[in-house]
Amino acid sequence: MNKKFFMLPVIALTIILLAAWLYFNFQKIGQPESYPVTIAVSKTPLSTPFYVAEKINAFDDTCVSVTYEDVIGGQRAFAKLMSGEADFSTTSDSVIAFQSLGQQKFVTHARFVQSDNDVKLITRAQDNIVSGKDLVNKTIGVTKGTASEYFLSNLLALDGLTIKNVTVKSYKPEQLMAAFMNKEVDAITPWEPYAFQTKKQLQEQVKVHDTKNLNTLGFHLVSQSADNLLVAKAACVLEGLTKAIDYISANPKKAQQIVKERLNLNQPFIDWIWPDYIFKVGLNRSFLLNIESQAVWAIDTQMTEYKKLPEFMTFIDTRALLQVAPMSVNIMASMEH
Amino acid sequence: MKISLMQRIRFFTFCVCALFIALVVSVLFVVQSLELAFERESYAQQIDNHTNVLKQFIINDNVYSRSSIDIHWVEYQSHLADLLNQAPALTPHQQTIQNSIKSQNSNLKRLFERITQNKLSDANKVIKVHFNARLAAQLEAIRADSVELSITVKEDIHSIMRQQAAFVIFILIASVSILSISSFRLIKIFKASLKDIKSAIEKNSSDNFQKVTMSKSYQEFNDIIEKFNLMNQKLSKTTISLDEMKKVVAERTHVLEHLSKTDQLTEVANRRALFERGEMEYSRGQRNKSQLTVILMDCDFFKDINDNFGHLFGDEALKHVCKICLQEIRDIDFLARYGGEEFIVLLPDCDLKGGIDIGKRIQDSLANNSVSFEDQEAYITLSIGVTSLSDKHKNFSQLINDADEAMYTAKNSGRNRIEVMSDE
Repeated sequence: MNKKFFMLPVIALTIILLAAWLYFNFQKIGQPESYPVTIAVSKTPLSTPFYVAEKINAFDDTCVSVTYEDVIGGQRAFAKLMSGEADFSTTSDSVIAFQSLGQQKFVTHARFVQSDNDVKLITRAQDNIVSGKDLVNKTIGVTKGTASEYFLSNLLALDGLTIKNVTVKSYKPEQLMAAFMNKEVDAITPWEPYAFQTKKQLQEQVKVHDTKNLNTLGFHLVSQSADNLLVAKAACVLEGLTKAIDYISANPKKAQQIVKERLNLNQPFIDWIWPDYIFKVGLNRSFLLNIESQAVWAIDTQMTEYKKLPEFMTFIDTRALLQVAPMSVNIMASMEH
Repeated sequence: MKISLMQRIRFFTFCVCALFIALVVSVLFVVQSLELAFERESYAQQIDNHTNVLKQFIINDNVYSRSSIDIHWVEYQSHLADLLNQAPALTPHQQTIQNSIKSQNSNLKRLFERITQNKLSDANKVIKVHFNARLAAQLEAIRADSVELSITVKEDIHSIMRQQAAFVIFILIASVSILSISSFRLIKIFKASLKDIKSAIEKNSSDNFQKVTMSKSYQEFNDIIEKFNLMNQKLSKTTISLDEMKKVVAERTHVLEHLSKTDQLTEVANRRALFERGEMEYSRGQRNKSQLTVILMDCDFFKDINDNFGHLFGDEALKHVCKICLQEIRDIDFLARYGGEEFIVLLPDCDLKGGIDIGKRIQDSLANNSVSFEDQEAYITLSIGVTSLSDKHKNFSQLINDADEAMYTAKNSGRNRIEVMSDE
């Protein structure tokens, strides 16, 4: 009797709670099993949303089960994507800009992070270089055909100068610091983490110029030209990334800890780069402007064999992001301007 | 653990109260959430407005030519920066957008400062256009973010309202369910228990004072039943005493009846019993035309016995006579003390001769058996009158009168003898 007395309300409440749960989770029921996807992730703090997503299991409730393929550099990540080794890759604006010229069959689904201070100008403190004009006739170490050179050309252009006014020497990114220390060059335009390493190594001997916002580096989720299934997968990946980015916003210290452990970084480096990062999933005009101007620059400097600007919108697939965060897609409206 | 009805009612009341408290709390919470959401909405709107104004400067004025733009731009830009520092509490996703707006705004400021430093006087037109576009794109990004924030906040408001509606419906369904279940259960309990009680009362009304047990046990009804059973127990005890009382009364009545028909001294039937039996025998004799003989005996010289031996002896003498008589008469015969020292024997189905024989046997037995008391001894003689029922007797008294007459004849004829009164 007593058992029944308690059982009846308990059963009734359970049914009501179940109904409530069904009401709130109706959409999730009947979702297909998760698709396995491989993402070629560039080993840089810019990939933080992926590492956080991995740590907080942000993909668990989505339609994808994600495997990361850790690669060094956006170029290699892109190569893995195009060879079919990965379904998605994390790719920078520069790579997108240059690859679009080659009419490669790929699409960008969304930008998930941007830094407006990734490439920096480093000179010797004793040289007292203040503006672009002071660089005239100096030897500058760059990584040719990359954001490093593009950044330098922009920097010089602000003072009405061009690459021709300086002597440019090309090095691999990891070799720039050595070239600078060996005094093979007077200045270098490395990206992170090489700028940080140079500063750390040479301390007061170097001057890191304030060039914030001369160049934007964005990291994007890119795939080969997408069919509906791939778009669905991209939407799920973006869903997980959005969760991860919201986690980063709410718990920045924890997010830093996650990326620090994942990439074996130290706190001073994180403190160096973190304020420049904007984590947010989106597709907007500044991205289009970025790749467009980089492509124009590539043609102008005859860096590429291609002479014609492609239709950049064909390299952007908004369908996935429109499913996940429609308000973050501002590229169409921008195009109208 | 036993659960009483009161506990049940309290439990259900508590459940319903808890649900309603949850409802009220949730409403208060929602009011607060909505206030915050509206604050966020207004915040997003303000950012949007500021960004639009800033964008207008870029569109309307050539950033590289006019100097007036600087002051207004810086003023609005600083307003925007202030505004961004006064953000209300935001959700993680809104915080993401807020972070983006804030960073973009600081970038915007840097870019603007660089551009306006020397109006890029040395730069070529292409780079000027590029940076102008960059500025516009940055503003566009901020505006897009503020729109996103605004929409997110609105969605938040809708979601809060939707969730609250669902919660209210849930609470109401839960309350109604609990109330229905509880009332259904209580009605069932009351019905079952009242049925048990009714059946118990019905049994009681037919003097069946059984111990009542409830088909379902509840403290409140158990208390009633306990009292009821106590009452039944008392009632059943009282009822047994009444039966016994009847038995006692019957016994007493029987004893009283016996006493009222028995002579106290001799313990044979008294005059009243004699007449009752006599009337009955007379009627039977009349009805069946059967024989009935009456012997009337009187102790001779009884006064002398009393005078000479004392009254106690006299009493013993009477007892002695009765004893002898009872020895000599048949089982169906009836001996009674008629009065003083007179006795009557009714002899049903016995003729006159039989009556004389019995009278003689009695006289003989008395002659052979003396009465002794306190060292005194005496022989008792009887004067006996015998008569038999005949048509002339219209009632029992006439029969006795005849026997009496015969007995007087015997007395007058010398005592210790038998005289007959017959029709012949």
